[in-house]
Parts: sequence; C-alpha cells; structure tokens
Amino acid sequence: MAYADIAAFFPILLKGAVVTVQITLGALLLSTLLGLLLALMKRSPLTPVSALAGTFINVIRGLPIIVQLFYIYFVIPELGIDLSAFQASIIGLGIAYSAYQAENFRAGIEAIDSGQIEAAKSIGMKSALIMRRVVLPQAIRIALPPYGNTAVMILKDSSLASTITVAEMTRAGQLIAASTFQNTTVYTMVALMYLALSLPLIFGVNRLERFFAKSRQGADQ
Amino acid sequence: MIAIDHIHKAFGATQVLKGVSLEVAAGEVVCLIGPSGSGKSTVLRCINGLESYDSGAITIHGQTVDVRRSDIHALRTRVGMVFQRFNLFPHRTVLENVMEGPVFVKGESRAEARQHAQALLEKVGLAEKQAAYPTQLSGGQQQRVAIARALAMRPEAILFDEPTSALDPELVGDVLTVMRDLAAEGMTMVVVTHEMSFAKEVADRVCFLYGGQIVEEGPASRVLSEPQNARTQDFLRRVLDH
Repeated sequence: MAYADIAAFFPILLKGAVVTVQITLGALLLSTLLGLLLALMKRSPLTPVSALAGTFINVIRGLPIIVQLFYIYFVIPELGIDLSAFQASIIGLGIAYSAYQAENFRAGIEAIDSGQIEAAKSIGMKSALIMRRVVLPQAIRIALPPYGNTAVMILKDSSLASTITVAEMTRAGQLIAASTFQNTTVYTMVALMYLALSLPLIFGVNRLERFFAKSRQGADQ
Repeated sequence: MIAIDHIHKAFGATQVLKGVSLEVAAGEVVCLIGPSGSGKSTVLRCINGLESYDSGAITIHGQTVDVRRSDIHALRTRVGMVFQRFNLFPHRTVLENVMEGPVFVKGESRAEARQHAQALLEKVGLAEKQAAYPTQLSGGQQQRVAIARALAMRPEAILFDEPTSALDPELVGDVLTVMRDLAAEGMTMVVVTHEMSFAKEVADRVCFLYGGQIVEEGPASRVLSEPQNARTQDFLRRVLDH
C-alpha cells in the first residue's frame, strides 16, 4: 500500500463521494415526501385510497432495490421518458425507501394517544389543524430515530447506483481497481470513506434515541 | 340549553343508548351516575359530537349536533369537555395548552389569549406552573389545567367525563373545589361522576342511568337520599359501601 497510490486515488474517490452524498440526499428527500404522503393515504378513511397506499407499500417492499433501479433505468426510457443514470438512481432509491419511510411515519402518527385528538376536537380544532398542531410535532420526534436509521441505509444502498453506471464512490473504486489492480488499497479506502460518512450519522441517531428515551422516562413520572 | 331527545346508539350489535332524553337549562348542574357500561359517558360524548348517535336528536340552543355537519367544529367551541385522563398536549407547556384553542381556533391575538390563560390558571390555582410541561404535574394539577383549557374557549357549558376517576384520592379534592366554584359562578355543567358527595352537594339534578336508559331522575337530594327505583337503590348501596 503506497502513499503515492493513496494520494492519487483519493481525489477520484472524493469525487465519487460527492455523488454518493448527492444521491443520498436526493433519495432521502424524495422518500420523505413520498413516505409522508403514503402514510397519510394509508390512514385515509376512504378505503380505495388506503388500499392503494397499502398495495404500493407492499409491492415496493417486496422487490429488491436493485431490480427497481434496473426497472427505472432500463424500462422507463422505453416508454419515452428520458432519465440520466443519476436521476434514475435518486428516483429508484427514493421510491424504494418511501415504503419504509411511510411505515416510520405511520408508527409515529399512531403513537399519539387518541385522547389528545379528542381533546383537540373538543376545543373546536379541525383535522388539518389537529395534524399540524398536535399530531405531527409529536410524531416527528417519535419517527426521528428510525428516520436516521433509514438515512444510514440509503447512504449505504446508494452504492447500488454503481450497477446502473452512476460514478458514485463504489463505482469510482471499481474503475480504479480495474485499471490498477490495487484492490486492497482501493477497497480499503472506499470502506473507510463510507464509514467516515455513516458513522457520524449512526452516532447522531444513537444520541437522538438516548435523548428521546430519557424524555419519555420523564413522561412516566 | 342542551336538549337530548330520545337518542339511540349502538356499537355494532350492542345497544348502548336506548332512548335517552334529557334537558339541561342554562346554569344548571346535572350529574349522570350509574354503573360502568350504563351509557353515561356515551351520552356525554354525543353532546359535543365526539360520538355520533343513530336516532333521536340533540340540540344546543336549538342548533342540531351532528358529527357529519361542518358546523360541528363551531359548536364544539361552545361546549367544553374535560376528560377522565386529562388529555393535555404533552409537547406544549401549561400556558400553551390553555392558549392553543383561543389562538388557533378562535384567532385571538397571543397577547389577549395569554392574559386570559394566565387569569384562568390563577383561578384554578396553578399560576406558578404556567411554564411547566404536563408530565411535570400531578394528575390533579393536570386536570385543573384541562379545566382551564376548556374555560379558555369561553364555553356556554362544560361536560365532565369522570374528571376525578383517574386521580389518587388525595388529589381529588382540589379538582372538585374548582368544579364547585364553577358551579357557583353559574356555569352549565353535565358531570359523569362516581363522587356521590359532590353530586349531592353541587348538582341541581341527578340522573341515574342503567342499561342505556335514564331510570331515575330528580333533585340530587331526593335521588341520592331516597331513591325510588330498585336499580338506583342497589347501585347507591354498593357505591356508598366503599
């Protein structure tokens, strides 16, 4: 493992890391919006709406993410919609994780005691106001730790974008390794760089969990 | 003011209300008593539309209570409710809990709502707790905040659903004192309760429910001291034995 090699590979991998972060943030944003929509749909009193959301969530959870990526990257263009590999990876991961996000959000919303919702009704609040002032502020706190875990998983699974030619960190590593045969150096560097991104996130989630566990303990007193 | 006319209600196959009728005049305090499952809480919850009823009618000042109608929200602002389990918003301070309705439902200015909320907290004896969160309070204190929250909407009547049943015995007194003061001020109150001494002292009228019907009704002193109906006699004997 020569220092010269490391110095030469690092800028290339760093470029890949930037793409990795972009995919992660893009997919996180998309999965958040879509997941929230699905969670609200699933709670709808209209059966067709909740059934549609439920079916969507099950189908998405039942498919390997890599197959979803292939589908979006190779099949959608045949329908006449042009997507770059980068766009396809964000959309694919965003949709794939929206199903998990929806379950996170739903658990958060359902953890709110129905008595509070009745109390809100009893002072004349309408459902949208109850959502905004009573349910969501508390549901977000409950959903935050699992949300953080989902973010970590998206970060790691962004490496799947390498299979549809996106030059993110894993793909960058593959390309360097293929041309230099420095497998040990390259993949050790790739692994360490993923850890540099994921460990702070994991520690952050752990802190959040401890913080909320403590505040919940306070609630029992 | 509140007129309940022959309401029926079933949960699935179980008929919980079988033709309940009750009139509550402005300024009157009516206590609903009866064994659990008699339907007394359901009657209360129908009055402000937290529960729907299958047939019959409920009106408040002539306006029909109907869960499906859009005026139900406005109607609820006129009839407050206090719950057995307080149901305060745990993520908001005591003061914010009381201000929530006036600011976000009635559109009062924050300054105005704060002033009123502080006066109400003073009234229920919790002025010094306004910055606390509900979890930092005892059950009795939480219930008094819940009463202040209901009062903040300046309601014409307040419904109390077993307001002291979830409290430790030593905390019941403070809540009953607040309720007694409210009654003395002329607040219209419908109270589901197991506190017979409170009913005897404060209620203008007591209704005994059994099996989804009001089987005995009259002035508190008469119903509680000389019940006519065998069911009422039996119930009171059991309750007072405790």
